[in-house]
Amino acid sequence: MRNVRASQLIFELSKAGRRAAHLPHCDVPCRDVKELIGDEHRADAPPPLPEVAEPEIVRHFTNLSQLNMSVDTHFYPLGSCTMKHNPKRNERLASLPGIIDVHPCQPDATIQGLLQLLFELQVMLGEISGLPAVSLQPAAGAHGELAALMVAAACFRDRGERRTKVLAPDTAHGTNPASARMAGFDTVTVKSTPAGLVDLDDLRAKLDDQIGVFMITNPNTLGIFDGQVAKIAELVHARGGLIYLDGANMNAILGITRPGDFGADMMHYNPHKTFSGPHGGGGPGAGPICVTAALGEYLPVPVVRRDGDRYSLDFDRPRSIGRVRTFFGNVGVLVRAYCYLLTHGAEGLREASALALLNANYLLSRVRHILPVPQGDRCMHEFVASAAALKKERGVSAMDVAKRLLDYGFHSPTVYFPLTVPEAVMIEPTETESKETLDAFAEALFRITEEPADLLHEAPHTTPVSRPDEVQAARRTILKWTPC
Amino acid sequence: MGYTFHTSEDQRIMLEAVGANSLDDLIEQIPPEIRLQRPLDLPPARGELELTQHLENLARKNIGAGSAVCFLGGGSYDHFVPAVVDALASRGEFYTSYTPYQPEVSQGNLQVMFEYQTLICQLTGMDVSNASLYDGGTAAVEAVLLSMSVTKRSRKVVTVASVHPEYRQVIGTYFAHLDAELVTVPATAGVVSLEDLAAAVDDQTACVLLQQPNFFGCLEQVEAIAKIAHDRGALLVLAVDPVSLGLLKRPGDLGVDVVVAEGQSLGTPMSFGGPYLGIMACREPFLRRMPGRIAGQTVDRRGKRCWVLTLQTREQHIRREKATSNICTNQGLFALRAAIYLTAMGPQGLRETAELCLRKSRYALERVTGGERWKSAFGLPTFKEFVVRDRQCKVREALDEAVRAGILAGLPLGRWYPDLDDCLLVAVTEKRTKDEIDRWSDCLLGRRPTA
Ligand SMILES: Cc1ncc(COP(=O)(O)O)c(C=O)c1O
Repeated sequence: MRNVRASQLIFELSKAGRRAAHLPHCDVPCRDVKELIGDEHRADAPPPLPEVAEPEIVRHFTNLSQLNMSVDTHFYPLGSCTMKHNPKRNERLASLPGIIDVHPCQPDATIQGLLQLLFELQVMLGEISGLPAVSLQPAAGAHGELAALMVAAACFRDRGERRTKVLAPDTAHGTNPASARMAGFDTVTVKSTPAGLVDLDDLRAKLDDQIGVFMITNPNTLGIFDGQVAKIAELVHARGGLIYLDGANMNAILGITRPGDFGADMMHYNPHKTFSGPHGGGGPGAGPICVTAALGEYLPVPVVRRDGDRYSLDFDRPRSIGRVRTFFGNVGVLVRAYCYLLTHGAEGLREASALALLNANYLLSRVRHILPVPQGDRCMHEFVASAAALKKERGVSAMDVAKRLLDYGFHSPTVYFPLTVPEAVMIEPTETESKETLDAFAEALFRITEEPADLLHEAPHTTPVSRPDEVQAARRTILKWTPC
Repeated sequence: MGYTFHTSEDQRIMLEAVGANSLDDLIEQIPPEIRLQRPLDLPPARGELELTQHLENLARKNIGAGSAVCFLGGGSYDHFVPAVVDALASRGEFYTSYTPYQPEVSQGNLQVMFEYQTLICQLTGMDVSNASLYDGGTAAVEAVLLSMSVTKRSRKVVTVASVHPEYRQVIGTYFAHLDAELVTVPATAGVVSLEDLAAAVDDQTACVLLQQPNFFGCLEQVEAIAKIAHDRGALLVLAVDPVSLGLLKRPGDLGVDVVVAEGQSLGTPMSFGGPYLGIMACREPFLRRMPGRIAGQTVDRRGKRCWVLTLQTREQHIRREKATSNICTNQGLFALRAAIYLTAMGPQGLRETAELCLRKSRYALERVTGGERWKSAFGLPTFKEFVVRDRQCKVREALDEAVRAGILAGLPLGRWYPDLDDCLLVAVTEKRTKDEIDRWSDCLLGRRPTA
């Protein structure tokens, strides 16, 4: 059922004189535009956008959508991304009038319902993390990291300390060091042990009075809970540093353990992972941060506060680091997170995490006979297999396996991350998958490892395109359509 | 009440395969002393119907643009969103997919990114666009950081008081940790004076950050300011209102080096401030310093034209602390919405939208300043927003009165500009009818609404 015209660009479908939108007549005096805006500002012609009729627009984008794999259509075990079911009720509720049509600068008295919702979300996130002071402002996980590191820097400045370094394990996500730099810190990498835990000796060797923050992901990006975390926190705190928890993997521990209880001073959530916010083909997300009560005064403005039964936006926070974005936050994503939390309740959240562990461990039990999993036979919500042996013996890489899975109708796991595992294949099934799906995935993986290497090098074979030339894309950059 | 579906039999088999007796066995990696020994203190779980009723109750306590008449702007606007935008962007294949790491099964998203980049270049006249940043404010910061990196001048940036105050605040927050100074030139007349600006820009200045139309709705002399910046080796970063480009000269034709914008106007609802769309486009030579995802055209192994994420060596997952930015998750869905919106508008639709905004806002300004109480604060040409000054200095009262009449009449400027405490920023989009504008002005003038 392929539609050949679907692969044309919208610009190639354009023909002068076609249009989709018809604007209303001007019901106020229709003054000459030239009279209202001078020649020095006014363009002679409108921008050269494509000219297309509505039916063609609908067909074009509908056909494009069908070239994507998505959670709605496929198993999407992309490690570190928590590609769980995106509840339809949340979509509808985030679009209710009274939520979706509210301007960001309305008087507090006209948005009491929204402020109540956001206040309750702050409280719930504080409870789940064990870190009671909350900012909903950051726009994504990385933005939360940055905001929290600025909070830490502000705190050190107030203490009269000069701390210039951030520590992060070699398994850390790339955003950790990148955020550290934007907040003015240098990053020092701490080694992991072969078992995938923080190497305490290396940590001790690198701890000094310049250390501001240790950024830890727990469970880490290998899907292992680092049980030394309280010890690590003790070591870092003893030198006056703070612990940041990268909360990308919170889906493993909801209601089971709390960052604030294992020594974290600050953290972010990725509601677009843990709390089922759909990923939108790249975004939006949100990156709410939670910090200790002591650090709360440094959080970005505004925060939502309650006085009796009145809610308001509090801008009057003299020690705040300030704003980190325009307006309040990615409210649409936050409303979905709120809906997710209310749908689950305490028991439901804990159960969701436990079932995420069950699914991951079950899949691990099936996969480790196919691809070795260097860090053991138990995991949290995800695990990292390695295609290194396969590569050595048969020349088949993690990439080959990932690409061939697409032919079997599965989205690929994350590959080549974390950097510490050669030929890494990082698999996160999430709790919203059935045993049948997990079995089928393991089965496919097994069949793939038996297939001829040549077939795998050229995979996928059934997708609209196969193995795009990325080198050429980067060398001869074509980043927009131009008329020929 | 989650979204899981193991039967107890499934669960038994799975636990057995894992070698665990119960779900609790799976958490043994977590030392007992740090496990939570009580249930989380959260509200009870609700089914879909109860949840829906609860959210509807909360939503009813807000007054949105659907139930009141909205004249609020300042970076977020009540523009019309054609149904095709919602219908297409709410396809699950778009909104439940991840960043296109596997191009073979993401050609839809990648082609959308490529089309979006092209549309943004067509709209702004710039050479290259990325595939989205978080919002207008963070796009402004990223543009400033890009300028610092390109010019190797990392200590000083010049901006103007007529740039969105929140953009400037965001830059201030970032700069506090980077040892850089943000110099703000006043705009007391409603726009910046060229002399004042020229005096502030020196050979240490990385860039000038300007907004067009500016926060007050007025039009700055972009071309002349570009020259001032360039004469001293600085870049010009321009924050624009994308809808205004249906009518105004394109930044690329005025000597601008980096364009940023809040893309909310392009098909995204106001949603109390987000999620929105950070737009960024620049000149070709700065491409490799751009933050964010970029889609590029290439061919696949069979020679077929296709699209991939490209120039990823700029990004955090490859370059870590040396990346151009820490951004990872972005605003892809809103880039899609903008692409559909711009396509649905086309050149004529966008021009007509801009013309309606212009004519209606001019009509509103003339009407409200026709009475005794309000006067135009700056008396300069504006696009869809303008500032009026209350001769009675009772802006708050006027706004409260208007809310009672079902009108969100404008933004009081005192919050950002203490010396404009008696001023109101008013936005008039193509959605406002003559009737609504008349009611609004009657209300501000304290007249009984005309029937
Ligand atoms: C471990 C980890 N940390 C941080 C991030 C960054 O989060 P975001 O993409 O929301 O900015 C991610 C997401 O990809 C992640 O997997």
